[in-house]
Amino acid sequence: MNEELHHYKCGIDRKAEKFEVDPVTTQIVRNSLNSAAEQMKRALCRTAMSPVIYEVLDFAGAIYDNHYRLLAQAPSLPLFMGTLNFCIEEAVKGVGGENNLEDGDIIIYNSPYGTGSHPQDAALVAPVFFENELVAYTAIKAHWLDIAGKEPYSTDTVDVFQEGTVYPGVKLFSKGKLVDDIYKMCIANSRVPNSVAGDINAQAIGVKAGASALKRILSKYGIKKFRASAESIFDAGEMIVKNYLKKIPNGEYTGFGQMDSNGVEPGKVPFEIKVIIEDEKVILDMSKAPKQQNGPINCPLPSTVSTARVAMSMLAGSNEAPNEGFFRPIEVITKPGTLFHPISPAPVFLYGWPALQAMEVFYRALGSKFPEKVPASSGGCINAIVWWGIREKTGEPWADGAPHPVGQGASIFGDGATCLHHAESATRFAPAEVWENRNPWLVNRVELIQDSGGAGKYRGGLGVNLEFTMLEDSYATTVCERTQLAPWGLNGGKEGLANNCYVINQDEKFTEAAKATRVSIKKGNRVLIQCGGGGGYGKPEEREKSKIINDLKQGYISTEYLKKYYPNIEIN
Amino acid sequence: MSSRIGVDIGGTFTDFILYDESGNTVTIDKIPTTPSSPEIAVVEVIKRNLDADALSKVDFFLHGTTVGLNALLERKGSKVGLICTKGFRDTLEIRRGDRDEMYNLFWQPSPPLVPRYLRIEIEERLLADGNTHTPLNKDQIKEACKFFIKEEVTSVAIAYINSYTNKKHELDTEKIFRDNGFKGQISLSSMVSGEYREYERTTTTVIDAFVKDRMSNYLNSLKKQLNSIGFKGSFLVTRSGSGSMTFDEAEDRPFETIMSGPVAGAEGAGELSRKLENINLVTADVGGTSFDTCLIINGRPQIQFEGKIVGLPVQSPWVDVRSIGAGGGSIAYLDEGGLIRSGPQSSGAVPGPACYGKGGKKPTTTDAAFFLGMLGEGKLASGLELNKSFAEEALISVGGKINLSAHDTAKGILKISSSNMADAIREITIEQGIDPRELKLLAFGGAGPLMSNLIAEELDIKEIIVPPFSGNFSAWGLLGADLLQMNARTKILRLSDESINECNNILKELFSELEKRQKIDFSASNQIKEVALDMRWMGQEHTITLKLEKEKDGKISLNSNQLKDLFMNEYLRTFGSKLDTIVEIVSTRASLRVPLPRKSETGNIKQDDIKITNNKIKCYSFKKDEIIDFNIVSRSDLKSDSSGPIIIVESTAITYVDANYDVKKDKDNNLIINNREM
Repeated sequence: MNEELHHYKCGIDRKAEKFEVDPVTTQIVRNSLNSAAEQMKRALCRTAMSPVIYEVLDFAGAIYDNHYRLLAQAPSLPLFMGTLNFCIEEAVKGVGGENNLEDGDIIIYNSPYGTGSHPQDAALVAPVFFENELVAYTAIKAHWLDIAGKEPYSTDTVDVFQEGTVYPGVKLFSKGKLVDDIYKMCIANSRVPNSVAGDINAQAIGVKAGASALKRILSKYGIKKFRASAESIFDAGEMIVKNYLKKIPNGEYTGFGQMDSNGVEPGKVPFEIKVIIEDEKVILDMSKAPKQQNGPINCPLPSTVSTARVAMSMLAGSNEAPNEGFFRPIEVITKPGTLFHPISPAPVFLYGWPALQAMEVFYRALGSKFPEKVPASSGGCINAIVWWGIREKTGEPWADGAPHPVGQGASIFGDGATCLHHAESATRFAPAEVWENRNPWLVNRVELIQDSGGAGKYRGGLGVNLEFTMLEDSYATTVCERTQLAPWGLNGGKEGLANNCYVINQDEKFTEAAKATRVSIKKGNRVLIQCGGGGGYGKPEEREKSKIINDLKQGYISTEYLKKYYPNIEIN
Repeated sequence: MSSRIGVDIGGTFTDFILYDESGNTVTIDKIPTTPSSPEIAVVEVIKRNLDADALSKVDFFLHGTTVGLNALLERKGSKVGLICTKGFRDTLEIRRGDRDEMYNLFWQPSPPLVPRYLRIEIEERLLADGNTHTPLNKDQIKEACKFFIKEEVTSVAIAYINSYTNKKHELDTEKIFRDNGFKGQISLSSMVSGEYREYERTTTTVIDAFVKDRMSNYLNSLKKQLNSIGFKGSFLVTRSGSGSMTFDEAEDRPFETIMSGPVAGAEGAGELSRKLENINLVTADVGGTSFDTCLIINGRPQIQFEGKIVGLPVQSPWVDVRSIGAGGGSIAYLDEGGLIRSGPQSSGAVPGPACYGKGGKKPTTTDAAFFLGMLGEGKLASGLELNKSFAEEALISVGGKINLSAHDTAKGILKISSSNMADAIREITIEQGIDPRELKLLAFGGAGPLMSNLIAEELDIKEIIVPPFSGNFSAWGLLGADLLQMNARTKILRLSDESINECNNILKELFSELEKRQKIDFSASNQIKEVALDMRWMGQEHTITLKLEKEKDGKISLNSNQLKDLFMNEYLRTFGSKLDTIVEIVSTRASLRVPLPRKSETGNIKQDDIKITNNKIKCYSFKKDEIIDFNIVSRSDLKSDSSGPIIIVESTAITYVDANYDVKKDKDNNLIINNREM
């Protein structure tokens, strides 16, 4: 074992000897825990102020036991979910450890190296006591629209201090009472104070809803049975992933990925990931990553671990929301001081982008040997834009932001889906009619891009063009990755169309702005987000003729595309 | 004064109920559903209960149907063409970008209802305030019309961006289609819904276009057949958003009936609550494949303004009935991790539960209940006798793999499914800020009364109500459905006295549209105009729908301060917290309610009791965790003030009353079952 390397086992083992609890009670406790997490999510969504939470679902809410093991979660943002154990552990350390926790406390924590995210992703953590014993935590990490970084959203920070205010684990509620001093600090450190006030309110309602649901379960079953059930739930989860891994022979598989730039300097940032399958265990070796970058594409360890957790859960988890047990067969190897394990204060604002890339590269590595197990590359990014400005008439500040979906890679199961998210999978973007009510925009089009899906026996899903005209002067920060590395095909399938983003002035001049901070967009100018398509699967010559003809009839492909990829097909 | 028939078509059975005013009697019946032509079973069950003379004296025929829903489920509807705004041809296909099964890497949305080549873009554009940005390109519409006729499109949906603010472009487009010889159905998004969100509104419009012909044919054929056998009264069908509408209106707006299936039960629950001084209820309707639950607050079911069916959003009022796949026929199995699960797979009518002996091998909730003795001797009204060894074999086939006996597996299945049901109830109550312990549980459907003790216990609910004809309660609920129409418009306004005036102008238009839509000959004096506002704190997306209960004449008389107080209190009640910023009105809602003439009391029930041979049975008590003697009593013989353990048998349902419960019968023949230990 290399001394310099950091090994992280993604799931924590049993904490108790086997205590017999019947499988029925276990199942009921599991369902009740899932329901408790669902109640947290509903409470949050119904009361949140920023569309990023209620529409984009840019949050995760989950319940952990007192050993920071994931008991249950409500489907939301998987990449956040995979980091919450770190958030809770660090938040508790921040207030001085378990001994300083009391019933009714809620801690606020957003230190990037503990959350794995940028400072805007703030966690609220509530310890749950039962019969004077610390039993669990409920936690929600959610994206706040603004937390007073150098810009509302940045692609060019050079250290974490430019990225936003840090709350290193302080009590926002103490014994059930709001700590006014801290609350005022939170509100004061935002460009959109009302929105932040509303979101804090919503997050607190959410963690409280989870805590009371949890207490109900505890009073029904008692601590002993509850804990024994939890152990059984984890064991059952572990078995699901192991059963999947059993079917893959031992071996090492490598995949390559690439970031377009680090945000502050030109030049691509390539990386590789090795996937090692070893007797019902999977190891993600990310230690060959380039050294940590001067720009904000560094991915702190919690998010690196989260990537591994989510990628495996989506692949091997039997379509279910994972719990701690799912993570036990997963190990991550990193090297401190590199892209996937940076050291503070390296900037991390765009941490989510390398994390998403890593997921697809992980599939790519497996696909190099087992193409039938994974899909071809999706458009490969969430193509996010954050917008803001001051309304002309009222002088009120506004801000909005959203990720935008891409075409999915084809697989042995068929054509890739149109316009979905890969890992941000529950995320929705707003309807144009809502956008036009809220923001000074005219939405010109939201339409599929012809020929954007990679050809193959199964075609990649199509990408989408979103085009906006600004009706007032405004600013935007754009983050579209993978403009240089087109979505790869699999098993002989062809590439899809890559992402991009342009500002178009009134003389129809296109300026590329794929990863740019505080781009000024004058009234009357347009923004075009080109969300790429998915890669194809299998050789194009194996595609059924009827499918090709239908693609042409529906306008999914043009006659040029037909001639290029399916030259032997005659159309009358 | 008003006799009526209710017929509710379910997946397995078509339920019939007749309330005869003259004798104050109720007749119930059940017949297997005839899926390919549902009207056959409807006519048959009516004919076998009423002769032409009796039928001619019935005033109302109230119908709950799944014809529209089935069209969607089977994807057998009209060939639809969609006309849309340039740049938005793919709204149906792009959806909102979310993955329904978020941990399924290979998930695929179902294909759009209109293929891309039949989605035609037109140059035109309205702004969010209703003003015109780009006028309508009429030549393009003529071209589209020609193309649709050539392609033999039979139904056209027209859905332009921002048309919820201004109908003009859609109306003009419809006219051009008619002028150019299009003879099929046309659905306009602005007539379907006045609310924003183009994906949801366009999808709803397309659904409307897709099911219109099929629905229309069905309703007409049913009308003709019932008239030919002597029916002379009014034809009504239930709406997804509660209440009922005439057949004529349903032909115009079939999408409003899509989810009317579970609504009848909710209606019945509402009526029952109103009779009992508006007690707050939560329903547990357990059928063969699903568990449906609905909150009844202040005597009415809760209404939502968007629903979802087969993965598609429907932007229309929607009684908030939540379903999970847990019913009598739900199949239990071991999951990948080796734990027992129940549902959503169901054994259906064929082969049915293992104990039916019709070839089913997998254990269902019914097998578990029967094995434990909860179904009494297992003689069904249909004459079928259940077989215990088949049930045992099926239970062992699952439980045996984790070393559970048939008995423990059966207990487990019932506990797991009842806790799933309780969780579903908990989720709908918490959203409304209501503690389930404050509610009474109303149990109905074939297996509702059977599961009611277990569900109530999970939720710490003290009192259970089992209504008369509990197995046919949904059909009974049909009989009480008011005629109801709803209309709404999105216009986002900051709350002020001025904006209230604007709402009142909107209300005037909404009600006048409703009156035009109405095709009823009841006296106008009977109409009740109801007003509601969707409100929120500025910056929030989700709204609270504030029913203005006191505003009876269709306009708002409150000033902005009064309205803000009402909103703040409702928000506080729902979420337990207060904010203080600007309040916005998002949508204004108008409802026109015409109550049907009230039927008198519950009436005397005419139904066949099941013959009971033994008056005791060995049955498992969940309370005592052992097998004990339960009395078996037919419901009509049950004496008030009885105590558990009892199995109460009626022709369409069985009520399980554990050792810790007392039973009373109230004057309306409801069973009131109380946990004496709470």
